[in-house]
Amino acid sequence: MPRALLIGYGNTLRGDDALGPMAIERLRSSRSEAELISCHQLGPELAERMAACDLVLFIDATCDGEPGTVHMERLTADAEHSGSLTHHLHPATLLELAHALYGHAPQAMLITGVGSAFENGERISNQACKALDEICRIVPRLLQTFPAM
Amino acid sequence: MPTITIDPITRIEGHAKVTIQLGEQGEVQSARFHVTQVRGFEKLCQGRPFTEMPALMARICGICPTSHLLASSKACDDIMAVRIPETAEMLRRIMNLAQIIQSHALSFFYLSAPDFLLGMDADPAERNIMGMVRKHPQMARDGIKLRQFGQRVLETLGGKRVHPGWIVPGGVSHPLQAEQRDQILAQIPDAIRITRAALQWFKGQIESFRAEVRSFANFPSMFLAMANDTNEFSAYNGWLRFIDANLNIVADHITGTDYLNYIGESCNEDSYLKSTYFKPLGLTDGVYRVGPLARLNMCQSAGTVQADEELAEFRELERHSVLSSFYYHYARLIEILFSIERMETLLNDPDILGTNVRAHASPNKFEGVGYLEAPRGTLIHHYRIDQNGLIESANMIIATGHNNQAINHGVLQVARQFVKGKKIEHGALNRVEAVIRAFDPCLSCSTHADGTMPLDIQLLSPDGEVLDRLLR
Repeated sequence: MPRALLIGYGNTLRGDDALGPMAIERLRSSRSEAELISCHQLGPELAERMAACDLVLFIDATCDGEPGTVHMERLTADAEHSGSLTHHLHPATLLELAHALYGHAPQAMLITGVGSAFENGERISNQACKALDEICRIVPRLLQTFPAM
Repeated sequence: MPTITIDPITRIEGHAKVTIQLGEQGEVQSARFHVTQVRGFEKLCQGRPFTEMPALMARICGICPTSHLLASSKACDDIMAVRIPETAEMLRRIMNLAQIIQSHALSFFYLSAPDFLLGMDADPAERNIMGMVRKHPQMARDGIKLRQFGQRVLETLGGKRVHPGWIVPGGVSHPLQAEQRDQILAQIPDAIRITRAALQWFKGQIESFRAEVRSFANFPSMFLAMANDTNEFSAYNGWLRFIDANLNIVADHITGTDYLNYIGESCNEDSYLKSTYFKPLGLTDGVYRVGPLARLNMCQSAGTVQADEELAEFRELERHSVLSSFYYHYARLIEILFSIERMETLLNDPDILGTNVRAHASPNKFEGVGYLEAPRGTLIHHYRIDQNGLIESANMIIATGHNNQAINHGVLQVARQFVKGKKIEHGALNRVEAVIRAFDPCLSCSTHADGTMPLDIQLLSPDGEVLDRLLR
């Protein structure tokens, strides 16, 4: 059984930005066999846990694109994104950290749901709800098809 | 007159810029640190029930929410006029120590270590966390592990790493379980090993940074920190004390609203960050510093075995107080060591598992003040409520505000030493940033004075003439 890690990140107090953590909560209630992490932002502390996995799926919200749609991007380890903001990292930088510090960068994919309302508040928009539903359909399929995905 | 602008300042918590004004011959005439973000928490909390304040104030910042949670809860304890149960106080102290550990680890290993490992003149593209990983992977792993330790303690006790709950007016919401205590205790030996290794390594590096030691806000100033009867390191209990550069006590036993007699706040036209000063001496002469350097200058002993050994060595740096702000980094590591040792002592106290952890009361006063030593320095929360328990006014003085004048001193001192002529080298600009980084300023929570400072945008010609100005 491949070891899979799902990381949903975002600010749960900023409307649609909560999409990642909400996806994790919903997947938790569906008893996903993957390890699930919900967090505000990506920090270097995640690298060690990632290195112990075969697959990592990052789930994030974005304002780029048609609201309600979901996009997937295969990630590779890449230090070019590192910049200097060291307590908020790009997923590709985290993969590079996992490889450089702990000897293994898992396969990884970034799944983004396009939202439309990122103001203060704990409710997400109808478009973000649609993206959330889609993400929660996609993720179990990805886990089942891995490593052929 | 040419102006050099560094915008944004990198590897600090928040957004800021620096302007350096040059003379006709290219010499540095003035330098200023501007904070360009505003938060407005003092205003937006007005009208809210005082019991909401800890949770609300914790949202000021994602780096030090626990410090605000604690200071706010202490202010609410004061309004309720309660003395919280002993176990609750011990548990709060553990939370504060965990916050110091994780915040200091972030500052030292993530934000500043690239400068020490790769050198102040290294290519900025390399002088970051990935450069550190390539040059010294074990230190990177250690830094991550140490910060993780602090965060895990926060998560174990407070439920979350960022914006934890659990600390409430009157104490904490529920007791600690033996299993939780044992989980934390099991991680302590490794945390101590990492900290001691970092201390040994850093002490070996100091000789290579003599120029920075000399110029990084190295000047006589007063220091402010919490103090107590034993003169041991104090981060949770006690009163406020000012000392001068020769370690003489200038003002002592400052409690409650007394701070208003000693600490003045001044708005700046070019920054959202206010400058505080020691009121009896006025804005210009009343410069003081807070944070790790101030706390180690203030205390006579740490109160734990290993930290006391390190403190004795630290004191050998100078005859009186340690004045160079470069040594904030050194002081941070000693404070991490102290925090881990003290946490172990508290966790091994049988009373830590006590179940009486919260005092309940309605408001008994219309005013409350909470003091705390946050990782970056003294934190003050002061609330006034109406008859319905709603906040009428709130005043918060945050470490970075206390240090604002010293930071500006340091920026000018460094610019004068390292910026020569009209050609700017990366190393010179990085040292200007690095002196700010030494204070580990957290700008999100320090710029809370909504509406008290105009937004002033100036367009300057090369000779300093104001071509256009927008005031809002």
